[in-house]
Amino acid sequence: MAENGESSGPPRPSRGPAAAQGSAATPAEPKIIKVTVKTPKEKEEFAVPENSSVQQFKEAISKRFKSQTDQLVLIFAGKILKDQDTLIQHGIHDGLTVHLVIKSQNRPQGQTTQPSNAAGTNTTSASTPRSNSTPISTNSNPFGLGSLGGLAGLSSLGLSSTNFSELQSQMQQQLMASPEMMIQIMENPFVQSMLSNPDLMRQLIMANPQMQQLIQRNPEISHLLNNPDIMRQTLEIARNPAMMQEMMRNQDLALSNLESIPGGYNALRRMYTDIQEPMLNAAQEQFGGNPFASVGSSSSSGEGAQPSRTENRDPLPNPWAPPPATQSSATTSTTTSTGSGSGNSSSNATGNTVAAANYVASIFSTPGMQSLLQQITENPQLIQNMLSAPYMRSMMQSLSQNPDLAAQMMLNSPLFTANPQLQEQMRPQLPAFLQQMQNPDTLSAMSNPRAMQALMQIQQGLQTLATEAPGLIPSFTPGVGVGVLGTAIGPVGPVTPIGPIGPIVPFTPIGPIGPIGPTGPAGPPGSTGSGGPTGPTVSSAAPSETTSPTSESGPNQQFIQQMVQALAGASAPQLPNPEVRFQQQLEQLNAMGFLNREANLQALIATGGDINAAIERLLGSQPS
Amino acid sequence: SAAITGLRVKVPRNFRLLEELEEGQKGVGDGTVSWGLEDDEDMTLTRWTGMIIGPPRTIYENRIYSLKIECGPKYPEAPPFVRFVTKINMNGVNSSNGVVDPRAISVLAKWQNSYSIKVVLQELRRLMMSKENMKLPQPPEGQCYSN
Repeated sequence: MAENGESSGPPRPSRGPAAAQGSAATPAEPKIIKVTVKTPKEKEEFAVPENSSVQQFKEAISKRFKSQTDQLVLIFAGKILKDQDTLIQHGIHDGLTVHLVIKSQNRPQGQTTQPSNAAGTNTTSASTPRSNSTPISTNSNPFGLGSLGGLAGLSSLGLSSTNFSELQSQMQQQLMASPEMMIQIMENPFVQSMLSNPDLMRQLIMANPQMQQLIQRNPEISHLLNNPDIMRQTLEIARNPAMMQEMMRNQDLALSNLESIPGGYNALRRMYTDIQEPMLNAAQEQFGGNPFASVGSSSSSGEGAQPSRTENRDPLPNPWAPPPATQSSATTSTTTSTGSGSGNSSSNATGNTVAAANYVASIFSTPGMQSLLQQITENPQLIQNMLSAPYMRSMMQSLSQNPDLAAQMMLNSPLFTANPQLQEQMRPQLPAFLQQMQNPDTLSAMSNPRAMQALMQIQQGLQTLATEAPGLIPSFTPGVGVGVLGTAIGPVGPVTPIGPIGPIVPFTPIGPIGPIGPTGPAGPPGSTGSGGPTGPTVSSAAPSETTSPTSESGPNQQFIQQMVQALAGASAPQLPNPEVRFQQQLEQLNAMGFLNREANLQALIATGGDINAAIERLLGSQPS
Repeated sequence: SAAITGLRVKVPRNFRLLEELEEGQKGVGDGTVSWGLEDDEDMTLTRWTGMIIGPPRTIYENRIYSLKIECGPKYPEAPPFVRFVTKINMNGVNSSNGVVDPRAISVLAKWQNSYSIKVVLQELRRLMMSKENMKLPQPPEGQCYSN
């Protein structure tokens, strides 16, 4: 055996080569030693007399770790310390570490409650038994417990509580306090099916008298509730507590961002307040931040166009990335958030930004906002200012650094949800978009008012064409010469024409591209869409189409043509012709007295067929 | 006397084991495994006890598994012998005597002299979390093998 006594003889821990912590051989004196107690989660230092027993040591530990002594299991150097042992016996000296395992009935050692713990409570079991309204009411805190037929649900659960409202508030509190429980409940299939039933949700919400008041004051909200897409999105958001939090934060961020935007955004804020206040008052206890989200998402999805613009997050961050049909939306939003961090907080901000943007989008859709938007549109200077806003720069940067996020963000635009094919087509374009965004030429082009105006003209021209001669666009490639675009933007390749325009759309909440954007996606047929993917894509598509004819390079043109055709082809099957598609709505509008067929059609296209929203659009555009 | 083998220095056994002893006492690591000499007077530093805290979200959760580890004369060039004292149902562990099959556990099968007792314990704990092990039904807590 190797008796290399480098370590000074017997292998006593305290006399090991490096263990020079003295205090070794003084057993008799009650010296105070410092022993570290370590659990997988935490670490605490204890000063105890050297000759303590393990029992005594445990007593000191139990106080600090808030457990019973009999729940504590101490391990040192691979051995379990028994109560009657002493620390010295095990060679526990000053500066050494003892491992602690806290045994408890429900919990794993020292770990925080797992959902199962919360599940141990009645509430969880209550929520599990699935009564339709109960899960909804308990889970969808935003929607409030009391207001939503929760009573009926609870009674069906057979809960012993005699006071349903008390129980509900208890459940609500527990939910609020325990995210794990919330998650667990949310994951319950019953709850999910409940949440995915917009009709039911709408009923539940409408049943709330406060909500009814709110609806009276603000008819938009009824739009929200009546629009299944919005409801669905809202519910998706509600399902994901993390997203909810992000949205809340985003809203705050959005507001602060708005402040910094030069131009008429003070009005925006005023609008916010108008909507916020009643919503808040009505929903304070029960709705939390959800009404905002609803407002945001509803308007966005309902109005179509706006959200896509806002999605661009320009000065107005779009906190709410409406979840696409998939689950990944949650993650996406989170990631999106990260991407769109726009210089504000990083990951959280993004989600918030998205949500805020959505919220903003919804605000946009009100008639007042629309007039404001028009003002802004007419003032390219504003756009320029917006574009040069520092946070937008940082946003673009972060987006370009993380193209996936940007892709997700754009793809999550509510418009996309209606058109997954466009999503697919858009996806490969996105990295190029982002590169374009970083291209200083692009930036300068975007801040060039003339260029922007030219783009506007193009878009308008395309829009007109779309409505006048939808069949013309797909085969339109050469024709609309927009040499301006080609030169002003300085395309560099097939992707180029799309690139600059693309980002422009996304990042111009209002702008010139705006009108075309929304209309595009909403009514891809011909119009700007020429297969333009919703919103941003459309804009990009539009200019690209226009540029394609102009771009001299053969490959550019071919590429554009192909893209356009592909997009047109993709969209065609779904929305062959806005007129056909909205036939019914057009008739209704006519019956209501809106005789301007062109305007009706545009409005319908912009709102994706939502009559109510279209009417507002039509009304809103008139007085201004 | 350190022998130079190739380009590596072969650390003398006791040196290494004393280091491991100290680490075990200082609680190096994340607190989920522990090890130390079975007998403090053991001058040969051969017999060690180890402890693994069952990982959460597995069937081993909240259990404390006691092991015996024997570092032979060729340690650390040769792997140690490892044996569970607390009964456990796990792939690679003999169900009648708790002996860990060195061929079944990768760190033992492909032992390197840079590995240590800590590494072995951590690996066993990691294996508890593997899909093939994490749900195996376990004997009642606290039972030990009879040897």
